[in-house]
Amino acid sequence: MAAGFKTAEPLEYHRSFLKENCRPDGRDLSEFRATTLNIGSISTADGSALVKVGNTTVICGIKAELANPTVEAPGKGYIVPNVDLPPLCSSRFRPGPPGEQAQAASQFIADVIESSELIHTEDLCIERGKLCWVLYCDIMCLDYDGNLLDACVIALLGALKNTQLPEVTINTETSGPEVNLEKRHGLQIHKHPVGASFCVFDDSILIVDPTAEEECLSTAQLTVVTDEEGRLCSVHKPGGTSLSAEKLQEFICRATARQKEIQKLIDKVIHSVKTAQ
Amino acid sequence: MPTDTKRVRGPEVSQSPLLFVSKPATALPSHGPRTDGRPRDQVDVRPVFVRCGLVSQAKGSAYIEAGNTKLMSCVYGPRETERKDETDMKCGRLTTDMRFAPFSCPERGSWIQGSQDKDLSLMLHESLQPAVCLHKYPRSQIEVNVMVLENSGSVLAHAVTCASLALADAGIEMYDLVLGCAVRQDGSSYVVDPTYKEENSCSSASSENQGGLTVAFLPSLNQISGLQSDGEMTEETLTAGVRTCIEGCYKIYPVIQQALAKAVRRAAPPPSES
Amino acid sequence: MMEVCGSSNVSLREFGCEQSLLSRPDGSASFIQGDTSVLAGVYGPAEVKVSKEIYDRATLEVLVQPKVGLPSVRERSQEQCVRETCEASLLSSLHPRSSLTLILQVLHDDGSLLSCFLNAACMALMDAGLPMSCLFCGVTCAIHADGQIITDPTAAQEKESRALMTFAIDSTEHKVLMSSTKGSFSVHELQQCIAVSQKASEKIFQFYRDSVRRRYSKTL
Repeated sequence: MAAGFKTAEPLEYHRSFLKENCRPDGRDLSEFRATTLNIGSISTADGSALVKVGNTTVICGIKAELANPTVEAPGKGYIVPNVDLPPLCSSRFRPGPPGEQAQAASQFIADVIESSELIHTEDLCIERGKLCWVLYCDIMCLDYDGNLLDACVIALLGALKNTQLPEVTINTETSGPEVNLEKRHGLQIHKHPVGASFCVFDDSILIVDPTAEEECLSTAQLTVVTDEEGRLCSVHKPGGTSLSAEKLQEFICRATARQKEIQKLIDKVIHSVKTAQ
Repeated sequence: MPTDTKRVRGPEVSQSPLLFVSKPATALPSHGPRTDGRPRDQVDVRPVFVRCGLVSQAKGSAYIEAGNTKLMSCVYGPRETERKDETDMKCGRLTTDMRFAPFSCPERGSWIQGSQDKDLSLMLHESLQPAVCLHKYPRSQIEVNVMVLENSGSVLAHAVTCASLALADAGIEMYDLVLGCAVRQDGSSYVVDPTYKEENSCSSASSENQGGLTVAFLPSLNQISGLQSDGEMTEETLTAGVRTCIEGCYKIYPVIQQALAKAVRRAAPPPSES
Repeated sequence: MMEVCGSSNVSLREFGCEQSLLSRPDGSASFIQGDTSVLAGVYGPAEVKVSKEIYDRATLEVLVQPKVGLPSVRERSQEQCVRETCEASLLSSLHPRSSLTLILQVLHDDGSLLSCFLNAACMALMDAGLPMSCLFCGVTCAIHADGQIITDPTAAQEKESRALMTFAIDSTEHKVLMSSTKGSFSVHELQQCIAVSQKASEKIFQFYRDSVRRRYSKTL
């Protein structure tokens, strides 16, 4: 009976739960799904992390390559983030080049990296004007059940914290680079931005961490990214129904709390990886 | 070169640091035990870890891990076919898509599907098709997606196993499971389930009998559904290789059966005895 | 058709707008903010491709064309912002199973481009005579290194600023429809910028009103 009701009238089905201040999966309106993090599972990548937020699974692998810096910024390296939504993760995505959602997510991640200054691109420079690192941050969704952006930000942060770059020296005779794979060093992560996503139902009810179904039925979505100092790195609301400033304040408070939870989780996982080695 | 406007772009050229390693990599030994401790010339496949039903959105899914090779497969469908030509009316269509994550190999891959991915997709398709009862799904298509998360050798063999497991998990009617196993012939000796390094290095000096072989095998029907070989091998070596692969398939068969039984039990728990 | 929007606390550059300047689209508008200039065209409601059909409302597509080259990932993200803002204000359920296409051509970019997109889009939708529940406008605020808030910044001012925010404000309740930010800032600064944008939006809506009034006073 319930299943039939859900298929025929999905919006009514969700409303009947929201009326009782809970959601079909048993969560509170302001409750995130269980978040798990696995760091360093891909040995072919220089850094990697797998994040699960409820059913949503995202993997981020970082590959470092060598390149020439641009003429405009001779002392800076590159960070190239890309988000991919392969047809594997949900039946809504078709094979082929990335669709609008994947492209918008890539741009969002690029903006978060730039705004939060979590890595100074100066740190990636090996020799000014000659050689620098390019960090390709490839983020791939393996299971799409809503709240992609939050999962991507956590995966990126986890993978960057795990990244170990090999030592590079410039050979004075040939003036070519020489790489020593045995000697590796970590990256300096200056900030820890974490996102929190929200959905607005029927123009008034706010829920956090929406599932794919809730995202489809909602009238507006919002992602707030904060760092450990409580500064906002991004308030991304691509449209939808309007929000008052007071409501926004409520979101931001929840986002700062979420940042603390996730940072604690990342630190814990990093610590357990280190002790295991 | 056309620029990719649908992704965030980096510098025009960048090179892998592996090209500038000061000390050359040590060549793999051509005799004695292999780098991961397995003996040579014996049917010793890497222990596999398999799990079904990990992806919530898919009809069926499977994950396989053999050594460092990590693969994931999802099955969607049967759903209405996109192409409506004559042949689809009588029996269903199986589509396969195999991709490598950009970080899966020692050198970074491109996002754009290369010819290698397409070749592997086709081989996967040909290995799986004989096992699926496609006549039971007229006018519909079944999609198989495989994603290689980490490539540590024998990718096609494990992709076949993983995809057939995902098909079974999706409840698609099949004649049999399809298991894959690979062998790498190196002169007079061979290695079963080779790693990435073993696949891409040639240690013995003789140019004869150098090659790789992947077999897709239906264990309960005792039939071969796919065979792919490259390199140069004599007839005897090839037949011996096929036999070795079949033996290798039987080694992982109980693990696959167990994973499937576990998934079925979870989906439909047996009635309690009270 | 130029007029000056200058005031003591909220300063905007000189705005200009012309509607129905193209003959082929169903609605068109050019919008000028200082040296930033955008041309918008709306086609529809028209027939929709079956694959994109939505049974209870119109399908809106937004295409952003940069001044040179092909649209890239950045344009795609701007398209998403403009599209979802338009969807919120358009009464698209009145045109089920039809397509609306909005094309935004950049003529010149001198800062505050996203807000200029939004303003041009709103004027073009109005010109096409599509039913809307409210109007919307875009306001860009830049926070200067010394904490000063500049509305409608030029490209040079954008570059110097440490944070940049663009909001879409609706005309009925002056609430935030869309928000897109760059750089890091405190909660207090965000609230300040929203307040400033709301104030600036009143001016822009007044500009909308004046420019439409002028247009129809000529034709009548």
